[in-house]
Formats: sequence, C-alpha cells, structure tokens
Amino acid sequence: MQNRLTPLIIGLVSGLLIAVVYGWLIRPVEYIDTSPDSLRIDFRTDYVLMVAESYSADKDLTLAQVRIAALGPQAPDDYVTQAIDYALEQSFSPADLGRLNALAIALRDIPQPGGIGPP
Amino acid sequence: MSRWIFLILGFGIGLAGGLYYTWLLSPVEYVETAPDSLRSDFRGDYLGLIASAYASSGDLVRARTRLALFPDLQPATELAALAQQRLAAGLVDTEANALSQLASALSRSPTRTPAPTIRGVSVSPTPSKTPRPSPTRRPTATPGAAFLLAAREQICDPLLSKPLIQVVVLNAAGGPVPGREVIVVWDTGQDHFFTGLKPEMGLGYGDFEMTEDISYTLRLADSQQPVTNLTMHECEGLEGEPYPGSWLLRFEQSP
Repeated sequence: MQNRLTPLIIGLVSGLLIAVVYGWLIRPVEYIDTSPDSLRIDFRTDYVLMVAESYSADKDLTLAQVRIAALGPQAPDDYVTQAIDYALEQSFSPADLGRLNALAIALRDIPQPGGIGPP
Repeated sequence: MSRWIFLILGFGIGLAGGLYYTWLLSPVEYVETAPDSLRSDFRGDYLGLIASAYASSGDLVRARTRLALFPDLQPATELAALAQQRLAAGLVDTEANALSQLASALSRSPTRTPAPTIRGVSVSPTPSKTPRPSPTRRPTATPGAAFLLAAREQICDPLLSKPLIQVVVLNAAGGPVPGREVIVVWDTGQDHFFTGLKPEMGLGYGDFEMTEDISYTLRLADSQQPVTNLTMHECEGLEGEPYPGSWLLRFEQSP
C-alpha cells in the first residue's frame, strides 16, 4: 500500500503544481471582452472626465447618467466623487476639476426617488 | 512498474485538478483593465465619448492621447464608420456628429501620438506640451454666412454601383466642411446624413442612395434653400448598356 501511495502523491502534487503555474502564470484565462466597470482607476477617472467634458457643453444630465451607469451599479455621483478624489491626488488641472465638480453637483441636485416630503 | 503507473495516475489527477481550479474555480481576475480590452459595444461607446469630449473641448492632442489607448485602431476610418452605424441605428445625432468631426480632424493632421504608458496620462494636469492645433485650421463655417447651391450636375460614373445624390459642402475659403447635416425628403419619408463621414471622398463630402421612380428634395439642415426634383436618371455605358446615374450638388458658403 505504502509503495503505491507514495508515487501517487508525488505525481498528484507535481501535476497540481505544474497546472497552477500553467493556469495562473503561463496561460491564464484571458478577458478580452471586458466592461467599463473593470477599468483601472486612472482610465475610469478619465472616462468620468470625458463625461464631464461632454456634459459641460451639452448639459444633458440624462446622457451623462447613462454613460456613467456603464461603470457599475453604484450611484453615478459616487463614481464622480471617486474621480474627483483621484484627480486631486494626481493634481489635475483646475479646469478639469471644475468640470468634474460641476457634474458632481448636477448629479447630487437630482431629487432622489421615493423620498418622503414634508407633511 | 506499478509505481510508475501510480506516479503517472497521480500526475494526471493533479494536473486535471489544478487546471480545473485555476481556469474555472479561481481564474485570474482582471479588475484593472485598459480600454483596449473592452467589448466591441463598450469600445464603441468609449470612442463616442472621446469624440463627444473632443467636440466640447476642441482639444485634439488629448483626443489623440485617448485614442492611442487602442493600439489596433484606425482612427479616421473607424470613427467615421462608427458615426454611420450610430446614425443608422437612430442613436444620438450629436455623438455621430462629434465622431465625424473627430474623424475629419484626425485625417487633416494624421500625426500619431505614442501610446500612453503612465497612469492617467490622458488626464494629466498639463495634458500636452505640444502646441494645440491652431483654431484657424478648423474648417468650420463662419457663423451666419449662408451656404448656397453653387452647382447641380448629373453624373454618369459607371464605377458607382448605386445611384447617389452626392453632396459637397465648401466654406467661403473653398475648404471642405465636415459635420454638416443634410436633409433629404421624398413623398413618403425623409432621412438625413452628415458630410465628412467618408473621409476618403473628402471631408466635405456626403451621399445618399436614391431609389428608382422617387423624386427627392434636399437641403442643408440650417438652410431654407431646397434642391428639388432629384430623380434617378439613365446613363449609357460604352456599349450602350443603361445604368443608373447620380447627382452631384456643390454647396458653397457665401463670402
């Protein structure tokens, strides 16, 4: 029994190691059809900045919301806030920060659905 | 002998188990992707957004930097094709117009920008040290100056596979004007198209395919001067065979 178990375990462990190296390092699963929600923070910030640039010209808040919604399930102003944080960290130009701020303010001014008004 | 069999058996089980785990149960997750890995529809949206941002800021250097994130992109042709798809799908006209403007701007100054390699390069506080293109190079129309029909010609070109209404819009300086909306109306419907969506034909060029026995009226969107009675006419080939002819309309901005 001992004679059979030892080579089995040696084979199992070496096979497992090779598979892990191959599957994670040599040929990992490739994601070629990703969505914007997986974008790296700098690209995501640039995405939000583009929405803000576009919004500064057309003032179409619905279109801006639709575009930001592609980034994921969070509220649009959360993504803009994250973008502003990153922009401050990276010392973006005042003009870009101004556009991002203007979009954030416009999104926050949208009345929230389901709110209970004063009696 | 039996020891080798157990070694190989163990190896096989280990390999299969390992691949099952690394490919299916816990594959490498790409949570920090770049725009060039986006699915084709998101890629189109991203390009549309680059164009919209360009249309609002006029910053071609920044637009180029953003487009450089897509190494396999042929900007002028792909953006023009995307604009046509957007129009055909009845999507936002302003975005199609922005795509057309950016395609035209890129084909006018086809300098390539090196692919960005640093984080946030396209949104750096000083987006470019390269001088911005001079605004005088943008062939936009002088506000207020009207575009008038300067020429109306029947065209017999056997190389055209379909009968077309071809429109060329030129500004007062004789330069092509991209992004100009043209409206075509007929008895039972209407359609519109933009100049500049086929950069290979010229930045002020646009066309519309005619159908037999229909009379079309055409005008520029911001003009009240209609061009009427545009119907398909017959042309003769070298051996006398008939083929459908086209129209060429040239609009020029009054000085």
